[in-house]
Amino acid sequence: MASRAQIPTSNSALIAMIADEDTVVGFLLAGVGNVDLRRKTNYLIVDSKTTVKQIEDAFKEFTAREDIAVVLISQYVANMIRFLVDSYNKPVPAILEIPSKDHPYDPAHDSVLSRVKYLFSAESVASGRR
Amino acid sequence: MEVEQEKPSLENVQARQQEKQREGEVVIVEEEEEQQQQVEEGEENANVLQFMDSMDAYLTLIHSLSSTIRQGWLELASARHSMGASRVNTVLLDHKFHPAATTLLVTQDEGKVDSMKQHFTLCKWASSGNEKCSLGEAKSGQDKLHPQLRHRASSQLYEEKTSSEYKASHEVDDQVQKERSKSLSVFGTLVSPKLRAAQLSFETALETLVEIANTRSAVLCAFDKVNKKLGGSKG
Repeated sequence: MASRAQIPTSNSALIAMIADEDTVVGFLLAGVGNVDLRRKTNYLIVDSKTTVKQIEDAFKEFTAREDIAVVLISQYVANMIRFLVDSYNKPVPAILEIPSKDHPYDPAHDSVLSRVKYLFSAESVASGRR
Repeated sequence: MEVEQEKPSLENVQARQQEKQREGEVVIVEEEEEQQQQVEEGEENANVLQFMDSMDAYLTLIHSLSSTIRQGWLELASARHSMGASRVNTVLLDHKFHPAATTLLVTQDEGKVDSMKQHFTLCKWASSGNEKCSLGEAKSGQDKLHPQLRHRASSQLYEEKTSSEYKASHEVDDQVQKERSKSLSVFGTLVSPKLRAAQLSFETALETLVEIANTRSAVLCAFDKVNKKLGGSKG
């Protein structure tokens, strides 16, 4: 599953966001926003004009950065890049799927729950105990 | 004749004694194996319980987050309604260099060197160097202070300590309020109380998100342990 590499500890790691406008504005009000010297932000606002490529690039960038500990992503946005999100298996940054205004949270699509749900299948438990 | 008859019976006795000894050893080994099995089953049950508990906590926290965020959206919509859509807009966001005021502290789980469990701690409004970490960390700091206070070497020292603590916490609160106002000032000098309420709701949502991150880590850790056992029993 996750790699056995040493988990990097960090004194002040950032929270990145890939979400709709209202969610991003709300968390920016809570002080999460960061703009570095190259004017790179730790958030991507997703609207009707945002392409899947832009979302993929932002996800890859945020998960590769060492100064980011958590990536918040709206679940409906995560569904657009589901293959990428589900294939991600590093412990840090942690990917947290959050609800959005127009798309309430659906546990069936959550990447963590989909990873562990097979344990709840009667068939898999029975086959394991034979 | 009699001596010859005694010899076979002695040999028989020795043979029987050796057989009993072997049987005794086998019984001991079987008992040890049974104990080992019971210990392993106990560990397996503990892992499964831990997994189920962390799953339950994860789902409960997600539900709590959904309601907190929903409240935040409603307050934001209300602020937009009273202040105007042009005043609560992402166009106004500051794109000049500025560090995040709210950050995370990531540490590895204590106790096990090769543990994959990481721990996240929220540090709110820390851009001025005045770190205000989440309640859990603040409480552990206070617990360290209390044993010293209980000694009460002198009442004056106790009073000095409490007054300095009061001043320090007052300063921290002032600093936090400053940082909150700075964050709100992006949307203008005079902002709607609903926008302030939205800010607090999203701060609460952040705290819940950090708990979710820690619970997620616990779920995946417990899942790995349960999966290993299942994999071992299949193989």
